[in-house]
Amino acid sequence: MAQLKEMAFAQKNRMIQLVIYALFSGLAIIGQAYFIVTIVDRVFLQKQSFQEVVPALIGLLVVLIARATFNYLSGRTGVKMASKVKGDLRQSLLNKFSSNPVQASIKGQSGQKVSVMMDAVDEIDSYFSSYIPQLIQTSIIPIIILITAFTQHMYTGLIILVTAPFIPIFMIIVGGKTKEKSEEQLDKMAAFSGRFLDTLQGLTTLKLFGKANRQKEAIRKSSLDFRDATMEVLKVAFVSTLMMELISMLSIGLIALELSLRLIVFQNISFFTAFFMLILAPEFYVALKELGNAFHTGRGSMGAAQKIQDELAESEQDVSWGEASLNTQGNPPQLELKAAGFSYGEDAFALTNISAEIRPYEQIAIVGKSGAGKTTLLHVIAGLVPLSDGEILINGKSRSSFSERDWFDQLSYISQDPYLFSGTIADNIAIGATQAASREEIEQAAEKAGIAKLIRSLENGYDTAIGEAGRGLSGGEKQRVAIARAFLKKPSIIVFDEPTTGLDLQTERILQRSIKELGEASTVITVAHRLHTIANADNIYFLQAGKLHAVGTHEALMNDVAAYRDMVTVQQGGHTQ
Amino acid sequence: MKDLALVVKLTVMEKKDILLSIIFGFVTGIAAVGLFAASGYLISKAALAPPLYALIILTASVKMLGFIRAFSRYGERYFSHRATFTMLSNLRVSFFEKLEPLAPGIFQKFRSGDLLARIVGDVETLQNFFLRVFYPPIVLIMVFLSTILFTSVYSVHVAFILLAGLLLTTFIVPAFFALKQGKVDRKVRERRGNLSTEVTEFLYGYRDLKIYQQLEDKEAQLKQVSQAYIEEQQQEGVHHIFSQSANLMVSLIVSWSVLGVGAYLVADGQMDGIFLAMFLMISLTVFENATPMAAFPIHLQDSRQAANRLFSVVGKDEDAVDETVDDMQEWVAVGQAPAIKMTDVSFSFPEEIRQTIKNVSLSLPAGSKTAIVGPSGSGKSTLLQLLLKISVVDQGEIRMGDIAMNHIPQESIWEKANVVLQKNHFFYGSLRENLQLAKDTASDDELEAVLNKVQLEYLSLSDQVLEKGENLSGGEKQRLAIARVMLKDAPLWILDEPTSSVDALTEDHIYRHLFDQAEDDTLVLVSHRLTGMEKMDQIIVMEEGSIVEAGTYSVLMDKQGYFYELKQIEQSVFMS
Repeated sequence: MAQLKEMAFAQKNRMIQLVIYALFSGLAIIGQAYFIVTIVDRVFLQKQSFQEVVPALIGLLVVLIARATFNYLSGRTGVKMASKVKGDLRQSLLNKFSSNPVQASIKGQSGQKVSVMMDAVDEIDSYFSSYIPQLIQTSIIPIIILITAFTQHMYTGLIILVTAPFIPIFMIIVGGKTKEKSEEQLDKMAAFSGRFLDTLQGLTTLKLFGKANRQKEAIRKSSLDFRDATMEVLKVAFVSTLMMELISMLSIGLIALELSLRLIVFQNISFFTAFFMLILAPEFYVALKELGNAFHTGRGSMGAAQKIQDELAESEQDVSWGEASLNTQGNPPQLELKAAGFSYGEDAFALTNISAEIRPYEQIAIVGKSGAGKTTLLHVIAGLVPLSDGEILINGKSRSSFSERDWFDQLSYISQDPYLFSGTIADNIAIGATQAASREEIEQAAEKAGIAKLIRSLENGYDTAIGEAGRGLSGGEKQRVAIARAFLKKPSIIVFDEPTTGLDLQTERILQRSIKELGEASTVITVAHRLHTIANADNIYFLQAGKLHAVGTHEALMNDVAAYRDMVTVQQGGHTQ
Repeated sequence: MKDLALVVKLTVMEKKDILLSIIFGFVTGIAAVGLFAASGYLISKAALAPPLYALIILTASVKMLGFIRAFSRYGERYFSHRATFTMLSNLRVSFFEKLEPLAPGIFQKFRSGDLLARIVGDVETLQNFFLRVFYPPIVLIMVFLSTILFTSVYSVHVAFILLAGLLLTTFIVPAFFALKQGKVDRKVRERRGNLSTEVTEFLYGYRDLKIYQQLEDKEAQLKQVSQAYIEEQQQEGVHHIFSQSANLMVSLIVSWSVLGVGAYLVADGQMDGIFLAMFLMISLTVFENATPMAAFPIHLQDSRQAANRLFSVVGKDEDAVDETVDDMQEWVAVGQAPAIKMTDVSFSFPEEIRQTIKNVSLSLPAGSKTAIVGPSGSGKSTLLQLLLKISVVDQGEIRMGDIAMNHIPQESIWEKANVVLQKNHFFYGSLRENLQLAKDTASDDELEAVLNKVQLEYLSLSDQVLEKGENLSGGEKQRLAIARVMLKDAPLWILDEPTSSVDALTEDHIYRHLFDQAEDDTLVLVSHRLTGMEKMDQIIVMEEGSIVEAGTYSVLMDKQGYFYELKQIEQSVFMS
């Protein structure tokens, strides 16, 4: 995976550290072998006294401690590299998402993005904390061993050099085989592994039909089938380890044979050299084997890296803003859409050529069939999605010249499903304020939004904590919190996505009354679903398939626009399609 | 620990595979020790210029041990993985056996949708239990003890050092680090939870954050929480690597002691020098298997947590609907529509701040048709759950005919009820299999007839349905669910917004067939639309868990109360 490797090399200092630690680890391995051989040689063959080998023993102790220490340092550096990369990736994702996820949430992809930001980033960890340090160790330690072998006893070096390449060759062959096998078994495995979840999810249905007890055997069977399919794949992987062990053993055997022949038959090598080689040779293969293991752990990271990469590569345009301040002195500004257009991408739904003028204090209703682009138009007007064509003027000047903060300070958006943040109810209302709001102001806003009584009835009143996304509140209550936010903010422009159904009567009445009251001080643009909202609007924007089909009052449109008349008539006839 | 004991019990069911794993594991370990012992001895022997045949025998045995090790490792891995997967199968079945009697009530308690995914994940986590927690220590100790026994024949001192090393690397050092581990773990989980909340709020609440100018604060906050989480993870990672390196160091120092003591004994003339290399090789090899023990507490902890979480789902008795009343009565109502009466019923979900159902009394005469309407969140669906005994009332009483609900087993209610829920599950398999769930004996003709009634005649019975019916549209799933209960044909119909995704024309068609079939049956329908209410015997209007109005369509309309107003609003709402 090229990107992951790049990220590793971007941390130059840590990579250099890893190389240094690997060098020292390699030297420690050589030192370990050297001291061991020295001690055995002196005591066993040269019959030296214990005192004479004490310095060597101390040397050995130092080398052993060094080996463990460098193992620790190398691992720690890997962990730190992983931390850095995870932090950076989350930052880039955050930058990406903060530029424009409204489109993502429209496409219903928020959940997927949460998982990328949490899980995919975490999965990157093992690549840096295990694979990279091991990769560097494996690139360095065997070479040090090989060099030592060549300098001490060339034939050992040669045997290693000839046999070692078989290990990667076998790994490649077997790796390909494993892939083939697992692709073969993939469908089976997917089908069996999903069965348990499928059964659990359907348990209610099964119970209601009295069929639950039968599923036990089905679960057992699919689990065992899954086992058999997996074992087929694993067997191939196990054979790969077997081959690797056989190769390393064979070459160690060859080395041992060559050494003992020289030692006994030809007597042209010292015990010291022979033993030295015999201890070093296995270390060479251990380093190779560990890379294989680390590779498996690192592989999971690659899929995750791809996911993150895809997310970052997705091009989403940002809404552009300027520096100019928008000073309206409390009066709503004049808005003008000039041939405005928006597209979700090629071949996707698009709003095209919308031109309209919205005067201060005007009450606008956007009307049209589902899929006509009503909510999208609302997003465009609110400045939540970028225009692909045309422009929007505020008091005659392009909106992109004004500062983002000034624009949003003028605006309240009341959506069908307002989002409540985890925190207290007071916090959730106060989020609407442009400046810090006092408890009194919050209570007043709640009073106006008709939710004060409910809040007071709760044990902790305004300090009642509400969960993520407002768990524990009904849809109507969430609407009222959103209204309270607007009362606190006193915006000069309100965009309102009127709920379709499911509200209680009280909320219905409060919504009507509140929007009327808020509308006295501001321009209100509503995606309208209620006849009275439509009938009371100053102007109706009738959308059809992404185009502004007609503009006018209810009476005018009823008289002049056949499609509009049809829609209203069908509605009043009680038919909804 | 009790939960893990259950997992152990399920694991040891696979006696043969476990035994083979342990045997092969032991042979692998002991062959490795033998291999290196022999090669250490070989090289020492060779230095003394022995006869060639002695050397050839030694070399051959080194080779043989090498082959044995390689092949027995293959065997160990094969059998241990097979045992693991079989154990997982046992675990799933056993968990299902425990969960099954508690469903569907238990799903009310755990409202989060990820409960089931978590269960599946926890089962997967437990695959490490056998592979890393259960049998490796057994093998390790067996290899160690055999090695120590072998060594003691030549030198009691060395044997003692090895024994001490075993205790240190396998028990004392891992236990020491395990103590610290728990705290680090807890912190990581806590920080992860914080980050998950922040990320979710950031992405789902983006529009509100943007408009209220809170995006920058939230971003900064998210970044800070992310860094805190990463720091905690880093500490955890460093802790792991430290404990592993510490164990490596201890094992190396043990080998060093073997060499030191050995050298002293040889120099002192108490031991033959030819064994010195052999002992050292033995020590280095045998401790290679002990170093991974540093990770043992982590795997043990993971397995324990997974087992705890898993069995905590099904472990508590309070989740189960109490069916212990002595005089359980089968509800005998075969072919006969039940009358249902609710008196002063209240109910609240655990951990919910308010009551979901407050003092509801209602009567559903045998063969009557009742609609329940009201805003979302008013308790309509909960009321149906109480009728089905999926949840049990906190106060008040429900009677089916003349029997009180708590004397009727759940299964006996479900057996006589045609239930369509808001979410209906369809299984991976053919459409035929999915329909036959309701009636095993139904012929193809019968199945096709019922598909016709719900206007799904364009589907074929052999069509494949994917998990959760994800290849079907919302409307198709609802219609299939209706088809399924039509096949079941029980005398009580409980329908929760069964046609919310079906267009009005099709809905009308389906309802005609449905009401035909249910003519003599008792029927309760939660409806999101107020159309077609004229044909109901009674309409119950709910708000905030209470009944605000009840009566026939004409009564309620004449009264010009709550229902009337809802109707007015609905008529003025453009659904399109």
